[in-house]
Amino acid sequence: MNSLTRLPAPMGLLIDRERPLRFVFDGQACQGFAGDSIASALLGSGRWLLSRSFKYHRPRGPLSLAGQDANTLVQLPDEPNVLADMEAARDGQVVEGQNFNGSLEHDRDAYLGKFSRFMPVGFYYRSFYKPKGMWKVWEPLIRKKAGLGVLDLGFKPQYHDKAYLFVDVAVIGGGPAGLRAALDAATAGAKVLLIEQQPVLGGSLTYARFDIAGTRASHLRQALLDAVEAHPNIQVLLQATCNGWFTDNYLPVIQHTRLYKVRATRCLVTAGAFDQPVVFRNNDLPGIMLTSAAQRLMKLYAVKPGQRAVVLTGHDDGYLAALDLQDQGVAVAALVDMRAAPADAALASELKRRDIPLHLGSTVYEALHDKGLRHVSGVDIRPITGQGKVGTQGLRLACDLLCMSAGYMPVYQLLCQAGGKLAYDVVRDAFSLSNLPVGLAIAGSVNGRHHLDNVLADATRAAAEAVAALGLPAPALTAFGPEAKVNFPWPIFPHPKGKDFVDFDEDLQVRDIVNATRSGYRDVQLVKRFSTVGMGPSQGRHSALPTARLVAQATGRSISETGVTTARPPFQAEKLAHVAGRAFDPYRQTPMHRRHVAAGAKMMPAGIWQRPAYYGKPDERERCMQEEARHVREKVGLIDVSTLGGLDVRGPDAAELLERLYTFGFAKLAIGRTRYALMTNEHGVVIDDGVCARLSEQHFYVTATTSGVDRIYQQMLKWNAQWRLDVDITNVTAALAAVNLAGPLSRQVLATVCEGVDLSAEAFPYLGVRLGKVAGIAARILRVGFVGELGYEVHVPARHAERLWDALMQAGAGLGIRPFGVEAQRLLRLEKGHVIISQDTDGMTHPAEIDMQWAIGRKKPFFVGKRSIEILEAQPLKRKLVGFTLPKGSPQPLEGHLVLDGPDISGNVTSCEYSQTLGQIIGLAYAGAHQATPGMHIPIRVEGGVMVNAKVVQLPFHDPDNLRQER
Amino acid sequence: MTNLNTQAFLSNGPQTCALTDLTDLPRVGFRGSDSAGYLQAHGYHLPSLPNQALRQDDGGWVVRLSASEYLLLGSLSDQGARVAAQEAEWVQGAQRNYLLPRQDSHAWLQVSGQHCSAVMAKLCGVDLRAEAFPVGAVAQTSAARINVIVVNVASEGVPRLQILFDRPSLAYFREAMLDAMAEFDGRLVG
Repeated sequence: MNSLTRLPAPMGLLIDRERPLRFVFDGQACQGFAGDSIASALLGSGRWLLSRSFKYHRPRGPLSLAGQDANTLVQLPDEPNVLADMEAARDGQVVEGQNFNGSLEHDRDAYLGKFSRFMPVGFYYRSFYKPKGMWKVWEPLIRKKAGLGVLDLGFKPQYHDKAYLFVDVAVIGGGPAGLRAALDAATAGAKVLLIEQQPVLGGSLTYARFDIAGTRASHLRQALLDAVEAHPNIQVLLQATCNGWFTDNYLPVIQHTRLYKVRATRCLVTAGAFDQPVVFRNNDLPGIMLTSAAQRLMKLYAVKPGQRAVVLTGHDDGYLAALDLQDQGVAVAALVDMRAAPADAALASELKRRDIPLHLGSTVYEALHDKGLRHVSGVDIRPITGQGKVGTQGLRLACDLLCMSAGYMPVYQLLCQAGGKLAYDVVRDAFSLSNLPVGLAIAGSVNGRHHLDNVLADATRAAAEAVAALGLPAPALTAFGPEAKVNFPWPIFPHPKGKDFVDFDEDLQVRDIVNATRSGYRDVQLVKRFSTVGMGPSQGRHSALPTARLVAQATGRSISETGVTTARPPFQAEKLAHVAGRAFDPYRQTPMHRRHVAAGAKMMPAGIWQRPAYYGKPDERERCMQEEARHVREKVGLIDVSTLGGLDVRGPDAAELLERLYTFGFAKLAIGRTRYALMTNEHGVVIDDGVCARLSEQHFYVTATTSGVDRIYQQMLKWNAQWRLDVDITNVTAALAAVNLAGPLSRQVLATVCEGVDLSAEAFPYLGVRLGKVAGIAARILRVGFVGELGYEVHVPARHAERLWDALMQAGAGLGIRPFGVEAQRLLRLEKGHVIISQDTDGMTHPAEIDMQWAIGRKKPFFVGKRSIEILEAQPLKRKLVGFTLPKGSPQPLEGHLVLDGPDISGNVTSCEYSQTLGQIIGLAYAGAHQATPGMHIPIRVEGGVMVNAKVVQLPFHDPDNLRQER
Repeated sequence: MTNLNTQAFLSNGPQTCALTDLTDLPRVGFRGSDSAGYLQAHGYHLPSLPNQALRQDDGGWVVRLSASEYLLLGSLSDQGARVAAQEAEWVQGAQRNYLLPRQDSHAWLQVSGQHCSAVMAKLCGVDLRAEAFPVGAVAQTSAARINVIVVNVASEGVPRLQILFDRPSLAYFREAMLDAMAEFDGRLVG
């Protein structure tokens, strides 16, 4: 377990032998080198059992060593289901196995495999629902067994973010085709992004062998790499995965904790092909791996994969891998070729020269093992006698490594997401891709080109097409040479005893797939859903092709007709953190924000604004609110109302626009006057309110609610786009800071700092508007009464906001002025019976329900919603907003509490507070129209289901004759 | 070849990315069918098309936001005095030339340095690389989920993007910008 013996250089491209590291796996100390993956470090330490299979808890070791299978899923302290062949080993790391009962080495649930005959596909669909009620018994047991890994609920989220990347050409896959295509496109002048999953560029050039001498790959890789690194037009993303393809080459690429949103004018997929396993009994044992995995193990990590190997192949690459193994000191007991002969006879000669036994037309029928299935110990080799059939007599060979490769399956996932079609070529016995959208192309082995010269030629061809489409000069093309067949037509050898796995993730055997078709699930999509084939972490990378073959055979259709299941994003598992990225939660601060903070305000959100709720300690809301409200009633208070919406409507048709948009009439509004403005939509529903202040003949200043102004601005623009009135509409919400100076002493305070405006009640009456200067700042001054006291709204350019605030606070210091917050303002307006649109109204409220008929200009020929209001008013009123009171000390209703009418719900509370001024609880609520007469009582269900009987009263609660605000 | 691994950016010096707050520098907008004539009469050179900006002789910029809307950005050379005077002297008359109080409605930041387009790519979906977004280009778009106007005002080989956006969002957006700049060692310089 602690051995650091590795193969000599140049094996071990990724590891740094000068930097050893230690970590713990499954409770045991392990060693590795910087650059090792967890899996390679474990294999280098002689540890092959990395995980247990999902269903039968069979021992599993690495299959692809490229993150393409579920055999290497391990548990990290803060993350389950980590691919050990992709995750870097780190010094001091603690890694655990997962999905076992007992220990990884001794899993008590391993006996489940013996009962596989009784647990066919879909058995749980049928077995646990009868007799009735049995599911309740089974469910906890099944849930206990289900799922992989353990979540760390104390996990602290890491910083994740997103970034766009804009390129002319995105090349997905940094193998020989990708490198060549990137170079050709970049040399033509395109800005190229090269995306590679592995930590180094080169793809198959880093591990595969392309010639008998074994020198071409490294030489070619170095030449391509040097050129790419020197090229200013190429950007490289390593350890990055393109996880989907979306229209117009919108590519989500995950690298570490970042999601790049790549926008590419052209996209070349040079992602290669997946090495395919052979299906035979016990093909999942540790020590059995894809041929490419054994080569990766040696060349990337310098780990000797075994002492005595058998290579099972369906193409010439297996021969080259056998040479690699022997070169690294592995005894090759046999090369088993399922074909009658290799395509390149020189390979057979080389095997002979090296004394490697060759078995043509044969296969491994069964992998042998010692007790406990912990490692392959030998193979049963049989001659192939027909499609999926073998002879009765065979040869048994001892080995501790079995490398298998039945052929290749193009990395089709992204391409099928893009609308590409997979068609099965019966001559090549391979799937090929077609029907790709404009702007997306493929090259290399994903395009069925496997010979290295053809791969490079294909890359140049694809790059030429891409740059030509960009209007750049295309590189010269090179001719294609002959292409040997790489897929064996039927590498599936069912065994009577089963355990001939088609899908390693889900423990699915040949009979599971065939039985699914016999159960009526004849379409491959249905087979997937019934059997779960392809649903595991490897997403069909190794199971799609054999499943297509088996379903085709079982249903009497062609493989092309059968196809594979739909490929959807993501290509590989991604974290929600990647999708979420860095959270952007915009907030807005008024230009007087710093003053509020300095004054000790407790801030609250109001939409996306930050507003002072009250001034005082966080836990003294009620006291602060009541004190602030009383101060406004008795003296004078100042509140920041900069969040109030503000719209400048200017031009010859300004009055006409407002006539059409608001329910009231504004054409005759005198200059220097304001008027309440209520807006309804086409359905007659109240959507906003404010005041219209006429500043000049062609200039209105319209206020809107804090949360509604953006919508109202859009409504104005939308309607005027149709009406084409001669008017300019400007949203000045942010541009104007505003305060409301309110209370009986407010006139006195304002008088000390106001110039050019006669503030007397006669000269500047209630609902008047004046232009003047306050503290030397040009201001719009409105006499308003939202809180029911004498008051002035002062609106000034935002840049002067703090100066205005300071001047008023200083002017009022001698009169006891104090700031008040939103909570006090809401209480004060409630006492006055003023509704807040969207709090006291909802998506159905029309003017009659809130006693706003007085705000409708009946003589106007048109306003938005007029016809609907007339229709609504012709109907009997069903509900009404009423004021209610409860004695002090009663349970206080909250917003949303229900108003009842016998057993039915007739409405809900919209606002409610205790009023110190009135000495009772007051509120607004919707009630049935027949419950709305003052003096009646409405039952309200409050917290805990307690019922209170509130008295309906006439609004307003306070100062019904408006003496205070109009003084 | 450039490796876009995040780590690769960390070695860049502080001069590669800087944020400047220009919010206190004067700016003003005009909109209306008579605005172009008004501005030309006052000596401004106007972009020929919407979503273009034109540098003025004093170093300020005129940004054309639509067929009839213009944004005047004050020059650092006179601390925006010319634009401030333009705003102060404006009186609404019969002309369709409406003043837009952009100094009060919009905050104004400048991100500069070789990584400014990479910084913006973390916040904004528009390609702001110099080859796609040349000097004088204007984008009215969204960044970090708020509306922004981005203007390429690069000069003397130094990439510079100026960003105007809702003034109450200044604290929020400045924080988002500095967060995006952190990996480039970017910081607020004024």
